[in-house]
Amino acid sequence: MSICHLLNLRHPIIQGGMAGISDAGLAAAVSEAGGLGTIAAGNFTPDIVVAQVRKARKLTDKPFAVNIMMLSPYAEDVISAVIDERVPVIISGAGAPSGLASRCKEKGIKYLAVVPSVAIARRMEKSGADAVIAEGMEAGGHIGKITTMCLVPQVADAVSVPVVAAGGIADGRGMAAAFMLGAQGVQIGTRFLAAKECPIHQNYKDKVLKAKDIDTEVTGSITGHPVRALRNKLTALFLAAEKEELGKDEPDVKRVEAVGAGALRKAVVDGDTEYGTLMAGQIAGLVRIEQTCEEIIKEIAGQYSELLK
Amino acid sequence: MVFEKIRGIIAEQLGIDAESITMDTDFKNDLKADSLDLFQVINDIEEEYDVTIDDAEGLVTVGDAVRYVESAKK
Repeated sequence: MSICHLLNLRHPIIQGGMAGISDAGLAAAVSEAGGLGTIAAGNFTPDIVVAQVRKARKLTDKPFAVNIMMLSPYAEDVISAVIDERVPVIISGAGAPSGLASRCKEKGIKYLAVVPSVAIARRMEKSGADAVIAEGMEAGGHIGKITTMCLVPQVADAVSVPVVAAGGIADGRGMAAAFMLGAQGVQIGTRFLAAKECPIHQNYKDKVLKAKDIDTEVTGSITGHPVRALRNKLTALFLAAEKEELGKDEPDVKRVEAVGAGALRKAVVDGDTEYGTLMAGQIAGLVRIEQTCEEIIKEIAGQYSELLK
Repeated sequence: MVFEKIRGIIAEQLGIDAESITMDTDFKNDLKADSLDLFQVINDIEEEYDVTIDDAEGLVTVGDAVRYVESAKK
């Protein structure tokens, strides 16, 4: 079954859930344009997420998703809340509690899992996921270890549910390449960071628009949850702390984690480009202009069909 | 024995000496296994014994995995 058919979309383009960033406004704009918009639950409490879901419903009658990041202390409560709300699609990131797929099925909710490896993709398929999103380490935010180019075909061979490719895709060329690798859809984050409807601070947006190919860093590998973001004073602090701790017999992981505390909010809300976490993928260098979600999706889908003619 | 086999699976996946692994070895703290490695190991154990390990997060030590398989096989 194709992704468009499965999720009732015009274009097999999913807007990636971006913690603290992708809200009802962005998600609804993407869904209105024929893609699948995604509200990111991030570290929000269930009541905030539910308010966003209800807001999205007012803005669009098209399907949209809620991305639930399992590292959040509220993950379990958010899951119950959005299942009660019967959101059209749930996407899990950074793990998934067992039984989530069957709980979704009971309410007619489609369930997709973001996976960083073949073993986890197979696990999610076995647990009942309707599709898997194979995300390479080119992506922004929390990342795995394998590139999209290598991960997607291996996952496509390993599972029989549809595979959505994510990480490093920002235009029709990337989308066409992903389909060649065996994907049936794409998830795109960074390009939507620069969407007119994206609510991040203009300073953050300008940094994404100006970013070049080599401008991201991966921090937090020592914590077991590496994050990709644009290089700035914060990533330098992070890397210095990591280097220092790695030299010790008993590395203090908590000290490294503390460097990033509250830093996403600093970037997204305050526009602090020096000490905020400017999450973005390696493809940021390709994102040059601010456009509406409709323009972005039309352009990507148009370029994709042109290439595959 | 289940322990020997699981120890072999872990040693192969992580590229370490099987002898260094005991029932008390902690996946995260002793073996420095990240979640990708851990799920690969779980996947391999599931295939080897034809069992399903639902509570992957509940496996902290190698002994946890061994006991899980032993009770599932009964």
